[in-house]
This record gives sequence, C-alpha cells and structure tokens, in this order.
Amino acid sequence: MADDEDFPSSSDVEEPEDADCYLSDQYDDNAENVLQYLEDGRQEDCNWSVSSVITRESLLAAQKEDLRKIMELLALSEQHARTLLIHYRWDVERIFELLDQKGKDKLFSEAGVTNLENKINHSLSSFNPFTCSICFEDVSCSVITEMECGHCYCNECWTEHFIVKINDGQSRRIRCMAPKCNAICDEAIVRSLVSARDPDIAERFERVLLESYIEDNDKVKWCPSVPHCGNAIRVMGDIYCEVECTCGMQFCFRCLSEAHSPCSCLMWELWVKKCQDESETVNWITVNTKPCPKCHKPVEKNGGCNLVACICGQAFCWLCGGATGRDHTWSTITGHSCGRFKEDRVKRIESARRELDRYMHYHNRYKAHTDSLKQESNLKETILGKIAISENKDSRIKDYSWVMNGLNRLFRSRRVLSYSYPFAFYMFGDELFKDEMTPQETDLKQNLFEDQQQQLESNVEKLSMLLESDFQEFSDEEVMENMKHVINLSSVIDRLCKQMYLCIENELLYPLQRATHNIAPYKSKGPERASEHSSRFTKATNEDIDVQHGSAVNASGSPSPAKRLSQFQPSSSSDGKHGCSSTKRAKNEGSLDTPLFDLNMPAEVVDKSWT
Amino acid sequence: MITLLHDYQASRARLFKEYKEVQREKSADPDIQLVCDDSNIFKWTALIKGPSETPYEGGVFQLAFSIPEQYPLLPPQVRFLTKIFHPNVHFKTGEICLDILKNAWSPAWTLQSVCRAIIALMAHPEPDSPLNCDSGNLLRSGDIRGYYSMARMYTRLAAMPKKG
Repeated sequence: MADDEDFPSSSDVEEPEDADCYLSDQYDDNAENVLQYLEDGRQEDCNWSVSSVITRESLLAAQKEDLRKIMELLALSEQHARTLLIHYRWDVERIFELLDQKGKDKLFSEAGVTNLENKINHSLSSFNPFTCSICFEDVSCSVITEMECGHCYCNECWTEHFIVKINDGQSRRIRCMAPKCNAICDEAIVRSLVSARDPDIAERFERVLLESYIEDNDKVKWCPSVPHCGNAIRVMGDIYCEVECTCGMQFCFRCLSEAHSPCSCLMWELWVKKCQDESETVNWITVNTKPCPKCHKPVEKNGGCNLVACICGQAFCWLCGGATGRDHTWSTITGHSCGRFKEDRVKRIESARRELDRYMHYHNRYKAHTDSLKQESNLKETILGKIAISENKDSRIKDYSWVMNGLNRLFRSRRVLSYSYPFAFYMFGDELFKDEMTPQETDLKQNLFEDQQQQLESNVEKLSMLLESDFQEFSDEEVMENMKHVINLSSVIDRLCKQMYLCIENELLYPLQRATHNIAPYKSKGPERASEHSSRFTKATNEDIDVQHGSAVNASGSPSPAKRLSQFQPSSSSDGKHGCSSTKRAKNEGSLDTPLFDLNMPAEVVDKSWT
Repeated sequence: MITLLHDYQASRARLFKEYKEVQREKSADPDIQLVCDDSNIFKWTALIKGPSETPYEGGVFQLAFSIPEQYPLLPPQVRFLTKIFHPNVHFKTGEICLDILKNAWSPAWTLQSVCRAIIALMAHPEPDSPLNCDSGNLLRSGDIRGYYSMARMYTRLAAMPKKG
C-alpha cells in the first residue's frame, strides 16, 4: 500500500494544458461550469455558433427584434415588415443588402408590400351601390373592403377567398383577388373578416403567421424529436453545427437528421438513402416528389406541365429540379435546357459489381461500430452497478467519476468512428468527387485518412476493453493503474478525433473546387446544448420583455397577450402529454413563472449569465 | 356543413349571373360560344374558333368546363374535347397547362375570359412548359415549319367539317 500523502487524486493525473474536464467531487458546481465553458472553446473557435431554444411561449418575443429592425429602418407597419420578412425568409441582413441593390420600390413590390404613397385615394361611398366583380352582386358600400392595392370587393367574397387560401396552407401569402395583382392582403383585414365567420380558421391563420418565424427562417428550426417536444432551436453564427435540444434530442442543425459529423449533410443523406433502399416511404418520396430548390420541401407533381410551382412560390423544372422563372416566351427560355443526355451510363454497368463490393466494405464497418455503440449503451447500467459496489468497498479510492467520463468519451468517439466510414465511402468514391481529384491524389489522401482512422479505432477498442474490466474486484493499485490508462486514453482519443476533423476540413474538403461540403466542427463534449430560458436571468430583463411584449401586441391590435399565449402554453398538469421526460417537464414548469427568455439579447450577455 | 352549403349557393349564383351575361352578349365575341349543360349548371361546354394566322385557323374546337363548388375562388377545370396538336395541351387527355387555370387564378376571371385566354394560348404557345413534348421539342429546336404542318394536319382532321 502506498503512502497516504502520495496517493494521487484524479485531478493530478490530467495534463493541465489539455484542460480536460475530469473533475472530482471536491470541485463545486460553479468551478465545473467555468471549466466546461472554457473547454467548449467558444472563445477561440473561429467558426462559432450559439444556439438557443425557442419554446412556444417565447416564440412571439423571438420575432419581435427582427420585426422591429425592419419597422424602424424602413418606417413600415408591423404587418408590412412581416410580409417583407416572410418573403425574404427572415433574413434581415439580406433585406438591407437588397435595399441597396434594388431600391425600396422593387424590394417592396417583389414581396407584395404595397407602397402606401402610390395608393389611389377615393372615398368608398362614391360607388353606391357597389357591384362586386367576383359575385356580381350589388351590395351596399358598408359591406365592401378595399385592400391597400386599391382593389375593392365585397366582404363575403374576401372572406371566402381568405378561407380557401388558409385551408390551402397559404396563410403567409394570401394575395389580392384581382388578376395579376401581387399585393399581399392586410393581415388585420384577414383576421377580422375570417374570425367573424369562423374563429377556428382565424386562430389557425394567427398560428401559421407566428410559426413563419420558424418555418420560413434558415436560422431557426423545429426540434426534430418524435413525439415533438414543441421547441425550436435558433442558431446564431455558423449554421453548420450539431445541437442538443432541452428535450435531449441531438441533431444536425443543417439537415435535422441525427448528428452525423464528420459526414457532410449531403453524404449523410445519400448514405441513409442507400442504406434503406427497401423502405417504401423513401421509395415513394424519391419516385413521386422532387425537393423544391428554394425551401427544399418535397414537392409532388399533381398535374400540369413540367413547370412546377412549390407552395413557397418558387417555380422549378420538374425534369431537372432546377429553379426557373415563371415567365417564358417563344424565344427566351428562362433558366436552362435540361434535355441533354449524359453518357456515363454505359460504363456504369461494368463497375456496378465493384461498387457494390466497395459499399459492403464500408457499410459493414459502419454497422459494426453502430452495433458496438448499442451494446455499449447497455454497458452503462453494468458500470453504474460496478461503481456502486466499488464506492461501498473499504477502499481509499472514493472517486469513480473517471469511469463515467471515460464511458462518455467512448460513446462520442465511437459515434465519430462509425460516421467516418460513410464519409470515407463518399470522399474517396466516384459518386461525388470523381472530377475533383486525380487517382493518385485520392490514393494519397485515402492513406492519410485511413492511418488516422485506424489509430483512432485501435485506441477506441482499447478504451472499450478497459472499461469493461471488472474493476470492482481489483486491488487499489490495479484500480489506480486502470484509472490512469482510461484517463490517458480518453485524452489521446479526444486529440485524435480533433485531428481527424481538422484533417477532413483542411486537407480533404477545403481543397474541393466544385462542390462545397461543410461539416460541423468537432466538439469535445459532444453536440452543444442549446441554452434555454431560465431563472438565472435578472429581473430587469424580464420586465423588459414584458414591456416589449405588451407594446407589440398593442401595435398589432391583436388579442391580449395573456389570451394569445394561453393558446400555445401546455397546461402544466398534463405531464407526459408532450412525450418529454419528467426532468424536462419539471424544468419547464419552473420557468413558466418567469415570463419570457429574451432571445434578443446579444450572445455575450447570454454567455455571461452562464459562467 | 353550413360553409359548404354557402359556397355551393354562392357559386351557383355567380354561374347564373355569368349565364345571363353570356346570353345578353352573345354577339359581342363571335369567336366564343359558351353553352351551359341543361341539367347541371356546373358543367359547361364552349366552342372556340382557332385564331387567324395560326395553324388552328378555320378550326372549331370544343372545350369542356367542370366547375368546382368553390368557384370562383378555385379555378374551373378545362380541357379540350377536340384533338389538338399544341405544346401546352395534352395530346391524349386534352388537359391544358395555363397559369391562370393553376396558381395565377383570380376570382375576377370569368368563363368567358378563360376562353379568351385559351385562344391567346393557341396563338402563343409556351414550348418551355410542354404537356405535348413532341410539339414542344419541334418549337424548341426551331422547327417552326414542322410544328406548323403537324398542327395544321390535326386541325384539318379533327376541327374542320369533313368534306363531302
């Protein structure tokens, strides 16, 4: 038995410059937060991204800043600002850019915002009785409505038109009924006319407008959890990142599928499709739909010619999937000629066999690692049991956090390893980058990559073996030995993963000339947890939001904030209704007292409150 | 149910008005002859004359209108009953690809104006969005003569009274 004083604590073993977070109990929570924060390396990362959770409750507040920016700069009403933002996908910077390039008038007319200065001023009472040119009825001028574009129809026809459009899923772009009129209808008029007829549809209209901030916005996305947790995630900065929602769902922000780095989104999409060839749904979607080139929703062709229009308004060619204009004349064909025959068909048959062998090679290894990952998840239970036994043992070692840290490292690196196989399949295959690299270059790079992959693989297997050992039966010296190995291996593996990502980013993907593939940067701690609104924020901030919230609602003339919010708030008694774990519900209920998390705060402020 | 009934009545009333308008201005547009089905106001047929200086000149083409209950908020479905060789008309079914019958529909259009738009489409085909690829390809490759003679042949065969 070694000398008492010489007994090393776990914190002595770790290398200080690595700042890896293997902490013993003696550190308090605060210090741990600071260290975790440092380890995340947000400060030194150049391609940083900060994510935050938008719940149903904070959705309204989240939109306000973007709306306010546009309203102030362009002196617009809230509804016009919303129309503009919906059209330009809530990209404020792009609107500012286009304002310079195109000028105000063009910017407005393209989005369907009516320029108020051009409005023809005539009093409605001048036509009495008024003949509505939709239903051809003579009606009194008290039941007609003139839209801002100057077109005037009876309220009955307007209401019918709105309801048809809302039911058709076009709430965000209800255009005027006049032929070729591009103007978007005044949302206040839609609201009042529709709610008089059918409050349910009016409420749906309201909700769809509100959710536009998520659905028409490249920086905000719904959490893809099933059943849906009701949250959306907003990312500031680089959108190539992997995030974790407060519901525990980890996903790639870019494509919303599971976190798949170091595969790029395209590689992962191709890989998943390849792996589930037999899946009927995917088959149906690939056969019958094409993704819209603007919003990427799958679009089904329901008749008509090959010029297809997506619900988002984008027109595209059904044959090649490329975006086109809507206008075409006899002589000028907007866009493209997609009827050209590509003659690589012939060679494909010969190489099909080789290609299949190659796929099987990578798929088997990918599968082996994902299977190991599944089995190792069971290991967690076993290890917790072993720790419990060890901690009750009469021993000098009381801290077993290194086991769990090692296990988490194992999970993360196992995941990286499994995704590195589909990556290699596409990186060094012909499918994506055939023209990018010469065969010699490919060989060279493949060797470099495979060396790194092998190194990582052997270390991961070693770690897995160490963690599976029955350390609860070991003597103290053996446990110490085991602990040292686990901690050292963990930091080696972490470094290797980082190196592999750097190699992929700098040596493999960066030199590509034609294709652009981006991957989420390596995070030593796994996908970043999105910050959620919490009681840590100061009271002043909450009051601030209350004021913003109140004033905004008044401006839009909509129902009182309390009423509006209650439509989206899950009732606190219905546990599990949203399919969330009990811990998550508890957190949410706690935070309902504090009104709203201000998503408009600059990132630094949010970060500070975490430290 | 109430909404449905309401739509139904609104569309019926509007179609009735259109019917009266058509009767009143029968001579206003001699190229178009709109007829409503005797027993069903949601079924219409139209006879339109092929526009002059086109391969369709001299032909009379029959259109079938099927009107949805939510008309005029939704567009009528129109197809050619007479065979026609045109890039934007399906050769077998007679389906027409015309923006105002799809997403550019406005409730202010009438059956009469739809007919006028179809006549305009006959005079100005849009070969980039073809339903009839053979016809579209002839035009896209610049073979105006080939297109013209094919269209002319089908006009003679299908849209003109048989000689003798």
